[in-house]
Order: sequence, then C-alpha cells, then structure tokens
Amino acid sequence: MTIELQEVCKVYNHGLANEVTALRAVSLTIAAGSMVCLRGPSGSGKSTLLAIIGCVFPPTSGRAVIGGQQISRLPDHFLGRCRREMIGFIFQRFNVLPQLTVLENITLPLLPLGIAPKHRLQRAMPLLAKLGLEHRRDFPAGQISGGELQRVAIARALINDPPFLLADEPTAHLDTQRSLEFMQIAG
Amino acid sequence: MTGNPLQRHLNLLDYALAGLWRHRLKNGAVLAVFTFVIFLLASFQLLTGALESSAEQLLVFAPHITLQRLLAGRQVPVPEERINELTAMFGVSTVRPRIWGYYFDHVNGANYTVLGLTAEEIAALPVTTLAAGAWPAAGESGQVVVSQAVRQSLGLGERRSFTLFRPDLSQASFQISGQFSSDTNIVTGDLLLMGLADARHLFAMPAAMVTDIAIEVANPVEIENVAEKITARFPDCRVLTRAQIRKTYQVVFGWRSGFGSVCLLAALASFVILASDKASGLSQEEKREIGILKFIGFQTSDILTLRFWESGVVAGLAFGCGLTLAYLHVAFFDGSLFTPILLGWSVLRPELHLTPGLHLPDLLLIFSCSVLPYLAATIIPAWRSAVIRADTVI
Ligand SMILES: Nc1ncnc2c1ncn2[C@@H]1O[C@H](COP(=O)(O)OP(=O)(O)OP(=O)(O)O)[C@@H](O)[C@H]1O
Ligand SMILES: [Mg+2]
Repeated sequence: MTIELQEVCKVYNHGLANEVTALRAVSLTIAAGSMVCLRGPSGSGKSTLLAIIGCVFPPTSGRAVIGGQQISRLPDHFLGRCRREMIGFIFQRFNVLPQLTVLENITLPLLPLGIAPKHRLQRAMPLLAKLGLEHRRDFPAGQISGGELQRVAIARALINDPPFLLADEPTAHLDTQRSLEFMQIAG
Repeated sequence: MTGNPLQRHLNLLDYALAGLWRHRLKNGAVLAVFTFVIFLLASFQLLTGALESSAEQLLVFAPHITLQRLLAGRQVPVPEERINELTAMFGVSTVRPRIWGYYFDHVNGANYTVLGLTAEEIAALPVTTLAAGAWPAAGESGQVVVSQAVRQSLGLGERRSFTLFRPDLSQASFQISGQFSSDTNIVTGDLLLMGLADARHLFAMPAAMVTDIAIEVANPVEIENVAEKITARFPDCRVLTRAQIRKTYQVVFGWRSGFGSVCLLAALASFVILASDKASGLSQEEKREIGILKFIGFQTSDILTLRFWESGVVAGLAFGCGLTLAYLHVAFFDGSLFTPILLGWSVLRPELHLTPGLHLPDLLLIFSCSVLPYLAATIIPAWRSAVIRADTVI
C-alpha cells in the first residue's frame, strides 16, 4: 500500500477567468507504514494535494496511484468507493454534523456499508475509549468543545480502519498537550 | 467489513427517520396536508364506487320494461285488463301488475315508499336482499317486509305489527314478515314491500287498477324492440326500460364524480408542485450535510436511497392514514362530506348506509394519483442533492 504521484497538476476553474493553478507537477512516493508531514504557507496547495491523495477529485493532469488504484481517470463513483475503502480523512474544518450525537458521527461511515447498530457500537467503543470521548458518547456534536470535536473527527476517520489516514492541519484547533496526544494516537 | 444490503437499507432508513424527526414540524405539516389530500381522493373514490354499486341495486326491483299511463302529462292508474293484450304481444314472457307509491306517515313525519307485488314476483326476488324473516306469504294478507330504518321510524321496538291510515282514515294493519338487509339500504331504506292486494287496500285504489305494469321480455336483446312496439300500441303510456333507468343514474353519478375528480386532481397537482418546490430549495445546511456524507463514503446511490426513504415514509404514512380515514369516513359516516355533491343535496335519502369495497384497482388508482406523483416530484430535488460533490466540504 503506497502512494505514488507523478507530475500531478491541479487547476481550479480551468479555462475560466478565475483560473487557479494550485499544484504544478508534483511528484512524490510515500511508502506503507510511514508518516509524512506536508508543510507550506497558506494557499500553497496542501489541502488540494491531500484531496487528490484522498480520492476526492482526480488531478487535472499527471498520474496518481493510491493503494494500487490509478485514480487519474476514475469516474466520481469509483473515486467515492476508493475513498470509502482506503482513506480516513480529518478535515481542516471539523465537518462534524452538529445535530448528530458523538457516537452517530463516528459511526456514520458504516451506515452505507450495511453494518448493524450492534457492530457499529462494538467498533466505536475502543476508539471512544482511546480518544477519551466515552463520557460524551451521546452528546449532540453541536454541544462539545473544539478539542473534543477534533477527536470526534479523528475517531470517524479511523472507524473503518483505513490503510491511509490523511489529516489536514489536524492540530490547528488543539493546544500543545492535545496536539501531542493526537500525534500519539495517529502514530 | 461489509454487512448485508438489507442492513444497509435499515441503516439508511434509520438515518432518514432521525432526519425527519429532527425537522418534525416541517415534515409534520407536509404529512398532514398530504394525508388530507389522500383522504379526499380516497373518500371520493370509495364513495363513487359504493354509490355506483348502490345504483345497481336500485335496479333490483326494476323489470325489463315498466309501463305507466299518463294523463295530462301526469301518471294515473292503468287498467289491469291491458295485461292480457301485453301478454299476447310477440317477445313478451311475463306481465305483472304492481303498485308503486309513496305514503306519508303523519304520526312519525316520515315518507315511505310502498311497493305492492304479485305473489309470483315476490317469490322471484333475490333472497340476498332479506336479512331476516321471509317474504310476504302468498295466501296471507297484511304481511310486509321493511328495513331496520323503517322499523325504527315506526317506533316498533320488538313488536311486529303496526297500522297505517288509509285515505279515509280507517286503519290498515300490517304484520312484519321479514327485514331487508342493510346492504341494499339505498333502495330498501324507506321501502314497505307487500302483496299487491294489500297495497291496493292501503291506497284505496280502485279494483283492477294498478300504477305500473312490469313486463319481462323472453330475449333481453329484444327489450328495445318490444318497448317500441308497446309504445306504438299504447300511445297514452310511458314505457321505461331498465337500460334507461340505469343510464339516468349513471349519467348523474358519472357527471358528478367526474366533476369532483377534476377538482381533486387540481388540488393534488398543486400540492405536488408545492412539495417539489419546498424540497428543491436545498438549504446551506443540507448541502453541507450531504457534502460530508459524500466525503466519508456515501455514494450517490446511498444519498438517493436516503431521500427515497424520506419521501417514502412520508408518502406511505400519508397513504395509510388518508386511506384509513377515508374508509372510516365512508363506512361509518357514510361519506357525509361528499354525499351532497354526489347525490345532490335534496335527494339525500334517510339512513343511506354505504359499504365501501376496497378493491385493488381502486387502491392502485389512488396510489398512482397521489404517492407516485409525490415521489416523482421529489426525485429531481433528491437527485440534485445526491450529486453534490464531496469536495464542497474541504
Ligand atoms: N474550490 C476552489 N476553487 C478555486 N480555487 C481554489 C479552490 N480551492 C482552493 N483554491 C485555491 O487553490 C490554492 C491552494 O489552496 P489550498 O486550499 O490547497 O491551500 P492550502 O495550502 O491548504 O492553504 P491553507 O493553509 O490556508 O489551508 C489557493 O490559492 C486557493 O485559493
Ligand atoms: Mg488547507
């Protein structure tokens, strides 16, 4: 399970007046089991790169092979399936649904997979324990703190036990103590 | 890692229900309006069906051809002697005298229909019209069959005999020999069925005179021809065929129910437009929710399933509730909201009791006129929401 990018470009709004070239000929290889940190100033294209690795959209040009899947030319439907099977994604913004409870948010990716409530709970419990969220299990996500929200997002990314975990500035909203904890959990 | 497809549906249904519950005010309102529309539609359909079958019952006592004599455009008694001449006519199988009239009961302020038949005709009546007892016996006089409604109106309680005033205020006494089944209430609700002699006695009709002559034709195909011959032979008479009577009822019901259906369909159409309009305006919040769902692995088909369950639950609930209410409305309240439209305000019969039949074609019609357009109206907005791209949330 590796990630391989060759000459990947991403152009937003191609051919329009507001055209933005976010990535220009990026090539990289990430081996299985490694942890890679991507750094760069704001607007440099970090989120865009993660989106391509995360099978959110294909690159405008170049080759992207994620876990053996050449995603450059896959239609949306298959991209979604790759994402579902291989990627756990933690957003720059939390993107947790405030009206659902913590547990419901965490187990959300399991619904379309046809996993019964009992088994969903079985999978969620160890994660909740690991992330210290047990006492918030049945709270609406709209009523918990920013750090807790971030941990909910992490738990949700891990629920499916994906080969790749992508995190877009995951510690932006956490204090130093929590940031260190996150690195521990993710690592 | 993967569960079964049924569990997937259950999961999505569960999620859809939670979503509906979260917006219960809005969805409750849609449900209420939808239920009401289906209630109207189903009431109307059930009522029309019940009335049409009732109208068919109106023909239970109608012979192939009825002969009535007119004088100055008004009905007057016919001499019974014409029977001989009618019997001799080619194609005619039986000819029976009958007395059909109306009796106003001053004591109870009620109007009854009185039908006097010959013993042979009574013997030929379908037994199913009778709920209890027997038809008036051939040799006995004063025996009568009435409905439960007439029994009540006469204030009989458990008693079986009563008297009615004749035109000279002397009394005619009657003995109840049987009771009509309530299924035929539209025609027997106010009926007193008795022997011909008893009816003549009650109305004090001159001997050898009757109000109608009932003619049966050997070959039903020949009814129109025979009716024409009779008209030519007796120019002072009105000749009514069974088909004419049926057509009159059908035209009246048919026209009215057609008119009503058009109004209802218009109401339904506007509801569907309203529903699709409401559903199509995706709020920012909804867009974000779907974006997130798409991102964490929901496919377009999953979102469509979700939307399908949402509208399916609303439509299914509305269909069930609306249909149940409509059935109760027609069965227990005799469709009181609509009977005036269908029967006309003035001819509403007392104690009209309708038994709606739930037939599959009826159900399918109601279903395809309500649930299907609703589901269709929600497909486009559902599709629009389902194709929201995952990258809207990063
Ligand atoms: N959907 C979009 N449409 C058009 N331009 C976009 C879109 N998303 C990002 N961009 C542009 O592409 C460039 C790279 O954006 P990106 O979000 O990848 O940067 P980033 O490195 O993640 O920045 P930050 O650190 O602020 O999150 C930016 O100039 C941004 O304005
Ligand atoms: Mg970014």
